Amino acid sequence: MGKFSSMEVIASGLSAVRQRMNVIASNVANAETTRTPEGGPYRRRDVVQIANSMPSQFGTALDRMSLYKPAVQAVIADPTEPRQVYQPGHPDANNEGYVAYPNINVVTSMTDMMSTARLYQANITALEQVRKMEQEAARISIRF
Amino acid sequence: MTEYIDKLFDRTVPMLQTDMTLRMKRAEALVSNITNAETPGYRAVDVNFGGELDRALGKNAQSLKVTDGQHMDVLSESGKSFLVADNSGVTRPDGNNVDIDVQMGRLASTSGDFATSASLVRKKLQMLRTAIRFAQR
Repeated sequence: MGKFSSMEVIASGLSAVRQRMNVIASNVANAETTRTPEGGPYRRRDVVQIANSMPSQFGTALDRMSLYKPAVQAVIADPTEPRQVYQPGHPDANNEGYVAYPNINVVTSMTDMMSTARLYQANITALEQVRKMEQEAARISIRF
Repeated sequence: MTEYIDKLFDRTVPMLQTDMTLRMKRAEALVSNITNAETPGYRAVDVNFGGELDRALGKNAQSLKVTDGQHMDVLSESGKSFLVADNSGVTRPDGNNVDIDVQMGRLASTSGDFATSASLVRKKLQMLRTAIRFAQR
């Protein structure tokens, strides 16, 4: 039970971090996108991350505390207004000559990306440590 | 027969076994904290290591009284009730109180201690093997 629940938690952690990374990449890549299929400029996406409790042997009655694995529940669009830039010749300009650009601050997105990458590394390091423990346990029986 | 086996394998191996089981559980809790370092509202957990070890080794062995076959010992095998809240970290505005550096450090030391226990088990078994070999000659 030890081995598999750790691995399961880390696996869902890695997948949640990867999805977060995809969303940040999409935000950075679309920082200047003014036209989307749903109309208007690209809107900044954000992830809603939740913690799912691990299924336990006795149900929830006896276990007041349990382990949690993270999961991305939804990807939502940031409702803040797009920023307006005066560009009269632009095909997406409105009647007053303003073009709506996505409300994305590239610097914020890049720092988010860095911290997300570090979180991924932290997960991998945790995985390495658990793997080391398992190897150590498996080595007990070697040459005996 | 059993008492001879018990004499041969003294308390060392079962003790180390308990120790390793608890360290594995602690690693699980720490892994849960690390993966949830960015989950809003997540609260850190830890294993009450010293208390659980004392209990497993028979000190303060008083647990809940079982007076009926359907009663379950809350503290033992469920595996989850080892967990206690870890309030060492500062709660951030999103309700999460995981300090990832502390958790990584704890995981590293847990992993190291686990390796120590495992190598002690190995050494103990090697000693028995040496004794057996010696008798063969």
